[in-house]
Amino acid sequence: MQYLKDMTEIQQMILVILGVLVFATTLFWIWKKIKPGPQVDELMTRTKSWWVMASIFTTAAIVHPAISFIAFGLLSFAALRELSSISKSARIEDRSVIFWAYLAVPVQYFFAYMGWFAPFAVFIPVFMFTWIPFVLVLKGHTQDIARSMSVIPTHLMLTVFSISHLAYLLSLPELPQFNAGGRGLLLFVVFLTEMNDVFQFTWGKLLGRHKIIEKISPNKTWEGFIGGLLSTIGAAILLRFLTPFTTLEALGAGLLIACMGFVGDIIVSAIKRDFGLKDTGTAIKGHGGILDRIDSLAISAPFFFYYVYLICYW
Amino acid sequence: MPILLKLVGVRIRNQNAFQGQNQFIVVANHNSHIDTMALLASLPIRVLMKTHPVATANYFGKKKWLAFISNLFVNTVLIKQKDNALQLLEEKLKKGHSLILFPEGTRGKPGELQAFRSGIGVLLQAFPHIPFIPVWIEGTGKILPKGSFLPVPFEAEVKIGAATLATGTSVEAIVVEVQTTILDLRRSESL
Repeated sequence: MQYLKDMTEIQQMILVILGVLVFATTLFWIWKKIKPGPQVDELMTRTKSWWVMASIFTTAAIVHPAISFIAFGLLSFAALRELSSISKSARIEDRSVIFWAYLAVPVQYFFAYMGWFAPFAVFIPVFMFTWIPFVLVLKGHTQDIARSMSVIPTHLMLTVFSISHLAYLLSLPELPQFNAGGRGLLLFVVFLTEMNDVFQFTWGKLLGRHKIIEKISPNKTWEGFIGGLLSTIGAAILLRFLTPFTTLEALGAGLLIACMGFVGDIIVSAIKRDFGLKDTGTAIKGHGGILDRIDSLAISAPFFFYYVYLICYW
Repeated sequence: MPILLKLVGVRIRNQNAFQGQNQFIVVANHNSHIDTMALLASLPIRVLMKTHPVATANYFGKKKWLAFISNLFVNTVLIKQKDNALQLLEEKLKKGHSLILFPEGTRGKPGELQAFRSGIGVLLQAFPHIPFIPVWIEGTGKILPKGSFLPVPFEAEVKIGAATLATGTSVEAIVVEVQTTILDLRRSESL
C-alpha cells in the first residue's frame, strides 16, 4: 500500500487504465472459451484497439511532451482527412482549398505547444473562417460556393480546433498545490469521455427502453444516457485526484463530459447518416473510423477545457 | 515512399497476394499518377527491380526530363501507340520480368472502368503460364487528378486480387475475363 501512495497521480492513473484493460481482455478471453460467438469477437477487436490507443497516450504522457502534440496533430489530420473524404458536400474544385485546411493543423498545434492562448483560440474560428471563403472566392466558381464555405470550416472546427484543446491542456501553466498538471487533466477528460461511451452502451443494453432520437441513433436510450451520466459523474469524483477540482467541481465536470460526449456522438452520427455511411472509415480495427472514436471527444474536449479555464485560471 | 503514401491516405489491401509470385502482369484501373507509385510500393522488394510499369510515350516521352525521371525511379517501359509496342513488352516478359499495365490506356474518370485495350489479351495469350493480378484502385483521382500538380490528402484504397491464370482462348475473351475479374474485385468487401 505504501508503494501505491508513493506513486504520482499519473502513475496511478496509468495503473488504473492498465488494470481495466487487463480485466477486459481476460474477461472476453474466458467468455470466448466458454461461449464463442460474433459478439465476443467484436468486443475482442475493440479491446485490441483500446490497447493501441492506451499505449499511444501513455507513451506520450511519460516521454517528451512534444510527442503528445505531434500525436494529437496526427489524430486531427487523420480525422480531417477522413471527414473530407466521406463528405459529399465539398466540390471537386475545392481540393486546393482543402489543402489550406490541412495546413492549419500544424499551425494550430504550434500555437498549442507554445502556449499562445489568444492565437490558439482565434486562429480557426476567426482567421481560417475568413481565409477559406476568401480562397474559395478567388477561384471564381460561385455555384454551390456557400455550401463549401460552411462545410470546410466546420470540418476544421470538428477535427482540429476541438482536438487541439486536448493538447493545450498540456501547455496550461502549473497550479500551486496540484501535482498531476495538464497530463492529469488530459487523462481525466479522455478517459471519462471514452468511459461515458462504454457506460451509455452498457446501461442501454441492460435497461434501454425509451429511445431518445431514433432517426439519428437507434441505440441511444434515456436509460442508457442517464445510467451513463450517473456512472460518469461517479467516476469523475473517484478520479478527482487527477484534477485541481473540489468534489462539487468534479461532479460538474462529469456532468459536462457526459452531456457533451452525447452531443458529439449524435452530431457525428447525423453527419454519417447524411453521407449514407455506418462507420466513417476503417482506420482502427473494430472501432470503425477515427471519427467514430473521437466523436464524443470532439465536443467534450473544448467544453472541458473552458470549464477548467474558467474555474482555475480566470 | 510507403510512409508518404500512408500520410496521403492510400491504403493497400491484401498485399500478400504477391507472396510466392515471381512473374506476373498487374492489371489495374487508372485514375492518377499515384496509382503507379502505390502499386510499386505494394510489391515485395525481391520482384520490385524486375517489374516495369508500362506508360505511354506520348505523355512521358514528350519531355526528355520526364522520360529520364520515370526511368530512373520507376523502371518504366515507354511504349508508343501503334508502334511495335507489344514486342517491347514481350521482350521484358521473356526475360522473366513482370509488368504493371493500365489497360484503360489513360487515366479515366474516377470510379468508372473504361473499355480495355486489347494489348493485355495479346500478352496473356502469348504467355499462358504468366498469371495476371487484378487490382482495383479507388479514390486516387481525388488526391491527384489528371491535370493537377498539387497532391491533396484524401482516403484511397488499392485492392489487390489473387493471381489468376487466364482461361480464355481468344484475345477478346481474355480481355473480357480480366475486366470482369477487376469489376468483381471492386464489389468485394472481404479484402
